[in-house]
Amino acid sequence: MKLSEIRRGEKKLIEGMTLADMLLLAALVIISVSGFIFIKEAFPQGTDVKIEVNGRLAYKLPLSSDAAIAVKGINGDTIVEIKNRKVRIKESPCPNKICVHQGWIDRGAIICLPNRVMVFIEGSEGKENKTIDAITG
Amino acid sequence: MIEKFKIQDSKVQKANPSFILPLFKGRDGGVIFSSALLLFCSLFILSACSPQKEKVYRKSKVLMDTLITISVVSGSGDKAEKAIDKAFGEIEKLDRLLNFFSDSSELSEINRNAGLKAVAVSPETFEVIEKAIYASGKTNGAFDVTIGSVTTLWDFHKRVKPEDKQIKERLPLVNYKNIILNKKSSSVYLKKSGMLMDLGGAAKGYAADRAVDVLKKQGIKSGLVSIAGDIKAFGLKPDLKPWKVGIRNPRAENKADEIMAAIELTDLAISTSGDYERYFIIEGKRYHHILNPKTGYPAEGCQSVSIIAKDGYVTDAFSTGIFILGTEKGIKLLEEMGLDGIIVDKNGKIHTTSNLRGKLEIIGDSQRRKKTN
Amino acid sequence: MQSQDKLRIALLSAYAIAIHSFENLLPTPIPWLRLGVANIITLTALMLYGFRAAMMVTLIRVTLSSIFIGTFLGPGFIMSFCGGVSSTAAMGIIFSLFPRLFGPVGLSLIGALFHNAAQLFIAYLLFVQQIKAVLIVTPLLLLLGTITGVVNGIIGGMLIKNISEKSLNPPR
Repeated sequence: MKLSEIRRGEKKLIEGMTLADMLLLAALVIISVSGFIFIKEAFPQGTDVKIEVNGRLAYKLPLSSDAAIAVKGINGDTIVEIKNRKVRIKESPCPNKICVHQGWIDRGAIICLPNRVMVFIEGSEGKENKTIDAITG
Repeated sequence: MIEKFKIQDSKVQKANPSFILPLFKGRDGGVIFSSALLLFCSLFILSACSPQKEKVYRKSKVLMDTLITISVVSGSGDKAEKAIDKAFGEIEKLDRLLNFFSDSSELSEINRNAGLKAVAVSPETFEVIEKAIYASGKTNGAFDVTIGSVTTLWDFHKRVKPEDKQIKERLPLVNYKNIILNKKSSSVYLKKSGMLMDLGGAAKGYAADRAVDVLKKQGIKSGLVSIAGDIKAFGLKPDLKPWKVGIRNPRAENKADEIMAAIELTDLAISTSGDYERYFIIEGKRYHHILNPKTGYPAEGCQSVSIIAKDGYVTDAFSTGIFILGTEKGIKLLEEMGLDGIIVDKNGKIHTTSNLRGKLEIIGDSQRRKKTN
Repeated sequence: MQSQDKLRIALLSAYAIAIHSFENLLPTPIPWLRLGVANIITLTALMLYGFRAAMMVTLIRVTLSSIFIGTFLGPGFIMSFCGGVSSTAAMGIIFSLFPRLFGPVGLSLIGALFHNAAQLFIAYLLFVQQIKAVLIVTPLLLLLGTITGVVNGIIGGMLIKNISEKSLNPPR
């Protein structure tokens, strides 16, 4: 490019930017902002399933991939199943089976007191109870 | 491509080899360049070195046959973890002393020696029993820890409803006035043989009190201890708002309807007793775990009672006691004592003490009407 | 190569090394990822003295400053080498294909974009190997890259204008 061209070019610039510059800038801003939204949608909070036994973290699994896992509690194996972004306790050695009856959850937690197994969907307390720190009752 | 330009500026170069240098010095170019660089630096240093923010650290554990969650606000994860572990340690200790089902607990020792002799106990056990008796007195026996002998007749998991005769037989064993405390020797004696003391209605609230004390001693300024339905909050959250506690809807049909109301708390405890926690239904009649010490049968009149007070042992014991007293007597007693409460009566109507007006946030379900006394 | 070319390249490289090394002292949220402020010099070299000079400056800058900083052939070096080379190449190709389409800001944006893309790709290949993690940081980096791209472009534009004015009316 000749110097004269640079100078000629400058005249039609708005503060040193050509039309193509501005279009490119706008496109990049739009792409990155929509990228943020896309990422939020594609990888929502609460993608991890945390399984704790007696207060200790036993497993951390992605909610997005289906799995069935035997978690060793104090009375035997609790079978935790992850499917279609939902979690349930499939089998449990506990007497009352409250955890099994709770069925599939996509947020919150399933707690099996007798077998000391706790299944949390991480960061999922959010959605509607976002502002609530604890529940009484 | 840049032939012309090259020839032109080669002369400049011979005259002044450091041809770029002046550009950074003189005129606006230099100023703008250096200020832009400065901006970059300061922005990055600012963003990287901003002071460590306070966060909520949370840990859950199963103790006292229930799920306990402790949340703590701290600038350091290590400090928070250490404090939470200490608090769990305290609760664990209380669990060992007060567990109704464990043979090695001090409580079982007292029960085994009912009608036989006084048992010397640790100051903690003594204190809980003392506080439970205080609550029994205030509720005129509606709350009574000696209900244990009747409770053991029922089994809410296996849907066992005892015979009327069995209950009637045991009722004379239920009376808090037959607990003899001796402060000097720190001993507890149950007068009648066969009496069973069950501290399930006071121990969790008391444990929440103790856990909060431990957290405070560890230098924690703000936190929340939640032992099943017994919650004690202190300080403010990192966003400088009070802790918000949801009250469970006693007749929730789905997950979305789980919470009926919310209330903001700081330096206060809240407990809820509900007929939905442990129950079975036979022939359309609901049999739940909150037994009336006078009759030995589940108390009727309320679906749930939540009590707010400074101390967890008060809220824990009174939520049970007021549940048994029923809506009218309950609200009256609460107003007299200056405590706050939320009662859902058997028709699902919400009653609150006058002090709570405007502080309680009713969530969802417009059909449920709020009624303030 | 003519001696004035060498001189220019040497001077521009020196500036680029100084900026690059200084930038390396600043903390970033993700290790080894840099903003590429030194791209100002690459841009200037490209628009004034052509692709060859720009690439030379980039190569010298990346290699020498990594030796100065002590990251030569380490992960940081690989990242800045790939980022620098690909961004220079992208800017150079666009500039020689459509010399009048983009101004300094547009070119700088292209440079920043390819700088980030190359670094993310390398990060994925060498260190992270989790497409999810890479995807999550992509929009953030894209936005940061766009901002620094614009700032670099404006500064680069001023620099180019200044140099060309000085060259036309040399001070006596």
